Amino acid sequence: MTRFILRRLGEGAISILGASLIVFVISRLSGDPVVLMLPPDAPASSVQALRQTLGLDQPFVIQYGMFLTRALHGDFGQSYRWQMPALRLILERLPATVQLAVAGLCFSLCVAVPVGVFSAVNHGGWIDRMGRIFAMLGQAMPAFWVGLLLILTFAIQLEWLPAFGYGGINHLVLPAIALGWYPVAAMTRIVRSAMLDVLNTDHIRLARALGIPERLIIWKYAFRNAAVPLLTMLGVYFAAMLGGSFVVEVIFAWPGVGRTVVEAVFSRDFPVVQAGVLSASVMFVLANLLVDLSYGFVDPRIRDER
Amino acid sequence: MLSRRAFAAGLPTLAALGIGPALAQGSDTLTVALGAESTTLDPTVAAAGVDYYMINDLFEQMLRPDPGGQRINWLAESWTVGGAPDKPIIDITLREGVLFHDNTPLTSADFEFAYQLMGDPKHARNVHQQADVEAFEIVDPRRFRLHFKQPDALYLALNFTLWAVPKKYYEQVGREGFNKAPIGTGPWKFVSRSVHEELRLEAFEGYWNKAHRPRVKNLVIKVIPEDLTRVAAFKTGAVDWIDAVPPSMLSDFAKLPGVSTRTVASGNNLFLNLAADLPNSPLKDVRVRRAVALAVDMDAIIKKVLFGQGERYSELVSGEPGYDPTLTPYPYDPKQARELLRDAGYPNGFDVICYNLTTPREPSMKEMGEAEFAYLSQVGIRCRTQQLEYGAWITTGLRNPTGPRMDGIISWMSGHGVPPDPGSAWAGQIHTYMPNAGWGGYSFSADPELDALVEQQRRILDPEQRAAVLNKIAHLKHERVLGGITTYRPLVTFAWRTDKVDWTPWPAGYWRTFQEVALKA
Repeated sequence: MTRFILRRLGEGAISILGASLIVFVISRLSGDPVVLMLPPDAPASSVQALRQTLGLDQPFVIQYGMFLTRALHGDFGQSYRWQMPALRLILERLPATVQLAVAGLCFSLCVAVPVGVFSAVNHGGWIDRMGRIFAMLGQAMPAFWVGLLLILTFAIQLEWLPAFGYGGINHLVLPAIALGWYPVAAMTRIVRSAMLDVLNTDHIRLARALGIPERLIIWKYAFRNAAVPLLTMLGVYFAAMLGGSFVVEVIFAWPGVGRTVVEAVFSRDFPVVQAGVLSASVMFVLANLLVDLSYGFVDPRIRDER
Repeated sequence: MLSRRAFAAGLPTLAALGIGPALAQGSDTLTVALGAESTTLDPTVAAAGVDYYMINDLFEQMLRPDPGGQRINWLAESWTVGGAPDKPIIDITLREGVLFHDNTPLTSADFEFAYQLMGDPKHARNVHQQADVEAFEIVDPRRFRLHFKQPDALYLALNFTLWAVPKKYYEQVGREGFNKAPIGTGPWKFVSRSVHEELRLEAFEGYWNKAHRPRVKNLVIKVIPEDLTRVAAFKTGAVDWIDAVPPSMLSDFAKLPGVSTRTVASGNNLFLNLAADLPNSPLKDVRVRRAVALAVDMDAIIKKVLFGQGERYSELVSGEPGYDPTLTPYPYDPKQARELLRDAGYPNGFDVICYNLTTPREPSMKEMGEAEFAYLSQVGIRCRTQQLEYGAWITTGLRNPTGPRMDGIISWMSGHGVPPDPGSAWAGQIHTYMPNAGWGGYSFSADPELDALVEQQRRILDPEQRAAVLNKIAHLKHERVLGGITTYRPLVTFAWRTDKVDWTPWPAGYWRTFQEVALKA
């Protein structure tokens, strides 16, 4: 098991290094950040002086080498726009993003698992149909639209929940739904089809013949077998929620990393883009490692192979 | 199934979790919301217009515009201009009894420190603002002199540029520490900040200006970038004051009971910039440029696209030095525009690339550009529109000594500020491009007479003499259709709850400074 974890971590480190190179190259293709940092009436000498101060006059390879060396020491440089350490800016925003992603994922699971399971058990029935409609709605509506509808309904009309901001659980509910509704459809379908496959297997028929209660059959013997493909998706969706929550963060004024990084992309704030993308890469690698480890938990055969 | 009874039983649980509408905080706290926030709270490194939204609450300069837009002495008790006409000296006496938020007194040494920081290219970005000052001389703790290499009219237009920062504290905590816990002389003291979330301030009890000061203990400035969410926060009572009410919702706000609104010029100025200096471009011909100016029905576009939240202007705006009410905007006259094109040798019109900004730096700016370009196409100036995000747009619209240059028409902006002054904008948009001198950074004109006048106005400190030169530039610019065709200046609307908030708008910080505000009992 230790060897397995070390191997996965090694592969993850190579992925992160690759991501660092890609983000470094792509961010520099977007143009010169100095023109966005100085007022238009700044003389050419000021432009050149700032380029030198930021090291942007150096050859690309040297810039990348300096970036890697500093990054290994936890120094991603000063944000051009916010004029503070880029990593600090990202790390201060990270808890809010992780909180939102976890809450979004919890919402997705809380809907997708019961709906998927009950749809499979009662396939063709009204739970199946209603569940699929609800799940498809989330996939059909863009997150910003869902967010605005939620604000209109639960903040303005019903006055149950706040329209914006970061704070207690009440602030988390609407953004988590806006973020978590989209993957519900895919998750529901995965759970439903996996459950349908498992429910038709011999060991489930045997369990029924032995008179084991249906609830136990569904949740202990069938769902545990059907959960492996869902687990695979969870890693991907969690990573997508970490990096793709920009729209929801803007709609709900949520102070997260997604908003910070997207703004940094538009303002060519290279240090923040690099720190943000690499932080997301690390989270992505860790999330997938956790998923890999959890396979063994739900399926002992996978655990034994390692 | 969840029964109604079970649902009702769950409500107290929700309440215990804090679920319920968020309301603006207690009677000693005013909660407001801005659509954008400062990227730094250190005025010596600030460069973007948005930075001053929050900085003016914490920091002050020697001059500050009053609610009527008149520049008045602020931290400067008095000042005189002396020395030789070509090497002036501004002699400034500071107001007595001004304290920083740590209760240390403001002295000349603090302004000298600000001058050193703001002139250091390793520290500040607007170092060119200090380029004409050759020496800072301290006379005594309340008096100092600024020695100029040459006169600089913009120094006055920028409230003498320098901000009061406490030298001792700044040196003690350093640049990063100062940005994390800034100390100024302004009406509000820093409490805490969470980027993208909120800034918390507390009224400064030792504030020197007893007549114009906040009358509420705490101020929480929330940052809500999405227009509809900001409006929702206001409607639900989570905040009691918001900026930038979306133009499409103004009529809705007018019907809200107990809500006041105030609409002012945002400080930005928009225009169509034309590649008038390219030898082979149709736009080099003044008749073609005039045709462009006559082809666009700006009044209709402002009414339909901006819901009236824009104001036409012709080179200068009301209240600006050199403003002349007789210089009216170009009329909408498509017939004459077609005739001018025919006279210029383009009876069938011509194709041109039109660059448009898609990033909403101003409300509906993308749609405004599209509408303007559509009008041009109607008279035969066929726009092949290129939509650009902000970074690409600014790279296209700014001159650069080596790279490609803008070769058609671009929807552009350059703020005259609040209160307005055209000096900086015109140096960039009218004067021939001279990168080493800082002239013409986004200019596609080359007119020696206008160049000389733009340089002249920069070197005149006497307000009346300078206004006369600015007036002359405005007329020449308008007649020759150079330095951009002025289109409109955006208006911004603020809304607040009349029964709770007593707010006097001050122009500093683009009207977002809470110099005088109180909560009603």
